[in-house]
Amino acid sequence: MMTHSDVEIIQNRPLSNAKLGVLVLLGAETMLFVGLIGAFLVFRMGNVNWPPLSLGDIQLPQLVTGINTLLLVISGYTMFFSVRSIQQDRMWIHHTALAFTWFLGLAFLVIQGSEWIQLIGKGLTLQSGIYGGIFYILIGCHAVHVLGAVSWLTIVFAKSLLGKSSSQNYIGVETCMLYWIFVVALWPILYVLVYLS
Amino acid sequence: MICRVLILLLIFGFLSVLLPNSLNACPACKNLDESIARGFNWSVLFMMAMPFTVVGVIGGSVYYYFRRANAA
Repeated sequence: MMTHSDVEIIQNRPLSNAKLGVLVLLGAETMLFVGLIGAFLVFRMGNVNWPPLSLGDIQLPQLVTGINTLLLVISGYTMFFSVRSIQQDRMWIHHTALAFTWFLGLAFLVIQGSEWIQLIGKGLTLQSGIYGGIFYILIGCHAVHVLGAVSWLTIVFAKSLLGKSSSQNYIGVETCMLYWIFVVALWPILYVLVYLS
Repeated sequence: MICRVLILLLIFGFLSVLLPNSLNACPACKNLDESIARGFNWSVLFMMAMPFTVVGVIGGSVYYYFRRANAA
């Protein structure tokens, strides 16, 4: 059984187990994306014509995705801001920032989903050779991560609204922020590689 | 005895340097054109650098948290 001093020691640790666990998880996630980006680099640099001529005049929606990128980057800031607010015990601002982040994350997914529907309608599918395969796997893998981050944020937001987070206990919000920032920071790299190169 | 073997190995090594010949180190890279080879090279460099970056970032974060806690 834990004594009061044991609880105090755990609470005063410089780095909590939860945060360390998320950092290690993010390391593993980074390696997953590194493998996918590595494969993309081989295919991209190995083909002079990209997209391949066999796909006709398929063009990825650069402008809409650029705006979508901006939305996601803003959501990274609002997420960071929500953690700063809870640290300063400004709960109303914390809740508002979390709601904005959640909305922006969801908007990103909806816009990307509509883009995919259009691309599939134009004939770009997972079976469209190397181009279609690497596009859907790389971008889809990121979208699954955004979906995971939005789900996590939904739980964190609900707990925060129920009063289970405070300026003394915000580890859930903080670990969620680490994951969110990872997902946000990864996207501009993928956007430049896949959409602009 | 060991000394003689080492001298023989050294002579053999020296002679082999005098007779250079190209070899394909990677079976997948045989008969690749220039662009695919460049793609492979960048991909390998990128993937090779990443484990160090990941370990560096995690280690750096842990160091930062502990240093901040000690400073407080």
